[in-house]
Amino acid sequence: MKPFQRYLKTIWQIVRKDIRVEWRGRQGIPVMLVFSLLIVFLFNFALQLSPELQAGLTAGLLWVSLAFASTLGLNRSINLERETGALDGLLLAPVDRSAVFFGKSLSNFLFTTLVALVLLPIFGLFYQQNLFHPALILALLLGVGAYTSLGTLLAALSIQARTRDVLLPVLLFPLALPVLIAAVEASRGVISGQSMGELQSWFLLLLACDILFNAAGLMFFETILEE
Amino acid sequence: MTLTKKPTALIVLDVLSVTGILGLLVLVLFFTPVEATMGSIQKIFYFHVASAWAGMLSFLIAAGAGIGYLSSRRFSWDWLSLAAVQVGVVFGLVAIISGMIWARPVWNTWWVWDPRLTTTTIMELIYSAYFILRAGLTTPETRARLGAVYAILSAATVPLTFFSIRLFRTIHPVVIAAGSEGASFNMSPRMQMTFITGLIVFTILLVDLIWHCYHLSKRKAKEQWEIK
Amino acid sequence: MQPAGIEVRGVTKRFHHQPVLDNLSLSIGDGDICVLVGANGAGKTTLLRIIASLTRSDSGEVIFGGTNTPMDARRAIGYVAHQPMFYLDLSAAENLRHYARLYQIPDENEAVNLGIQTAGLENTWDKPVRAFSRGMQQRLSIARALLHDPTILLLDEPYTGLDQDAAHFLDEKLHSLRQPGRAILLAAHRPQRLLTIASHIAWLKDGKIIQHLPVERLSESPELVNYLQEVA
Repeated sequence: MKPFQRYLKTIWQIVRKDIRVEWRGRQGIPVMLVFSLLIVFLFNFALQLSPELQAGLTAGLLWVSLAFASTLGLNRSINLERETGALDGLLLAPVDRSAVFFGKSLSNFLFTTLVALVLLPIFGLFYQQNLFHPALILALLLGVGAYTSLGTLLAALSIQARTRDVLLPVLLFPLALPVLIAAVEASRGVISGQSMGELQSWFLLLLACDILFNAAGLMFFETILEE
Repeated sequence: MTLTKKPTALIVLDVLSVTGILGLLVLVLFFTPVEATMGSIQKIFYFHVASAWAGMLSFLIAAGAGIGYLSSRRFSWDWLSLAAVQVGVVFGLVAIISGMIWARPVWNTWWVWDPRLTTTTIMELIYSAYFILRAGLTTPETRARLGAVYAILSAATVPLTFFSIRLFRTIHPVVIAAGSEGASFNMSPRMQMTFITGLIVFTILLVDLIWHCYHLSKRKAKEQWEIK
Repeated sequence: MQPAGIEVRGVTKRFHHQPVLDNLSLSIGDGDICVLVGANGAGKTTLLRIIASLTRSDSGEVIFGGTNTPMDARRAIGYVAHQPMFYLDLSAAENLRHYARLYQIPDENEAVNLGIQTAGLENTWDKPVRAFSRGMQQRLSIARALLHDPTILLLDEPYTGLDQDAAHFLDEKLHSLRQPGRAILLAAHRPQRLLTIASHIAWLKDGKIIQHLPVERLSESPELVNYLQEVA
């Protein structure tokens, strides 16, 4: 089997394994979903949001709750590997170690996107807006992709500290700010009917973040874990 | 802590830094004209921008030292990286506070969400997190290695952060009492001269302070771990 | 078949600026079972992890007989660590299947079945590993390490926490693996029972291998004999 095929197969195997573990335990996605809904309710009452919500607030609320929920998922995903040392098992595999990064990153991406896709109709229900717009889905995919790549990298970093669970949000939120700003602005623009031409800069910014953070994962993942 | 003789170059730097700051103060207070619309408070601008500049430079140095550590695994790079972040955080704080002091009389508000000030504040948070990260790691080797990665990653995100906030501001401009948003005034030749001098003086001060912090870390590490 | 072997040359590793491994060299030959002894914290785990490429050494190198690239080396290594490296919610078979796929073993099913048999877990192959005892997990861990038929086997204190049955199981496994084409390095704190199985003993002290003898010639080193009696 050619090396590149092996590389892709390894990534896929890691994703499959994560899906299987999630399916067996069902502890990740439901928790993420409930948590994100709790945040929506919290903000709803804290900010006295009305049903006729402005587009900007919907977008902001969506991304804030996604960011928090995703962080939970990122923590759980990396702790799964730490439990009985399975991470070492992944690192021992005869394949370039960046495949482990992309595998974990991809499964984190899939789980967060799944939560987002469940949130969209719920938002539609709460705030009487239809959020299933192709451009919004694109913003979602790009934004979640960048956020989970960066999150996977920083999660690998955080587990080595004593303060591991608290450390991930502290490191992730400031660094992920450009992603969140761009994602909220792009989403807000789509919801309020702006064209892709007008929102181009935001989408390009999201793409730039995706590229930067995946490149960072490629470069630094092994260094972070190699002790 | 044992006392060792300070290197000559460092003494020279110390002297240069102190005279530089004093000289800059003189320039700012007596040489440069008072700006028309904003009044005397505008003069804090020279220190504000120079501080922000020094802070940015520090974080670049921290990232560069991070690369140095990862390639060579020599601890002197780690001490340099730590020193650069320590000094950078202080300069950043000075930049933020001086920015606020300037904003108050000019725009009648303590805080303006302008791109530069906001980015600087976010960077303060990012680099404060650097210390939180290091505090949670027990082995010096791990601290150095992960600190280096974080410093490099942080520096890489700064342009994106700045750009995203600037783009945000052009779409959501903040209406400020006294008119235009950014710091826009024309600089006379005297002001330009003071401005450049400020940048130079603060760069010298930056190198001086980093060197001191570097030495402090080095001596502390050598004493604690009895490195040869 | 290429001869197996591990060649550790001048490996140094520092923690807290102190060398845990100090210019350490060690040669494990084809067909050897070498027991690595040394005090707790002496660096046995560190050495094994460096050989397994999980930890990066500060200097020095590790060369394996018959491999050229780091990835060839990883393919040739089976590692049994303190922790079993499993996903607790997945079954024994699912865990083995995961590793079969990571190592791209051509016939997955056959390898997994063989692994279950090797571990003696035919009755519990579909139970989640969370429900297994330490002994069962260790047996499965050994099967995991052997899944891809590695030529190099590294074991880190594998007898810790094992009951009699599991310990006997491990004894037999090691016996059967002592053959040309393989090399085994096994770290043990109390190596008494291993003296009948092992071919060599290596003593790690102060960051170096200060003794490396075939078991038959153990009496040549009274200090080592003494040390072994002390830790018994």
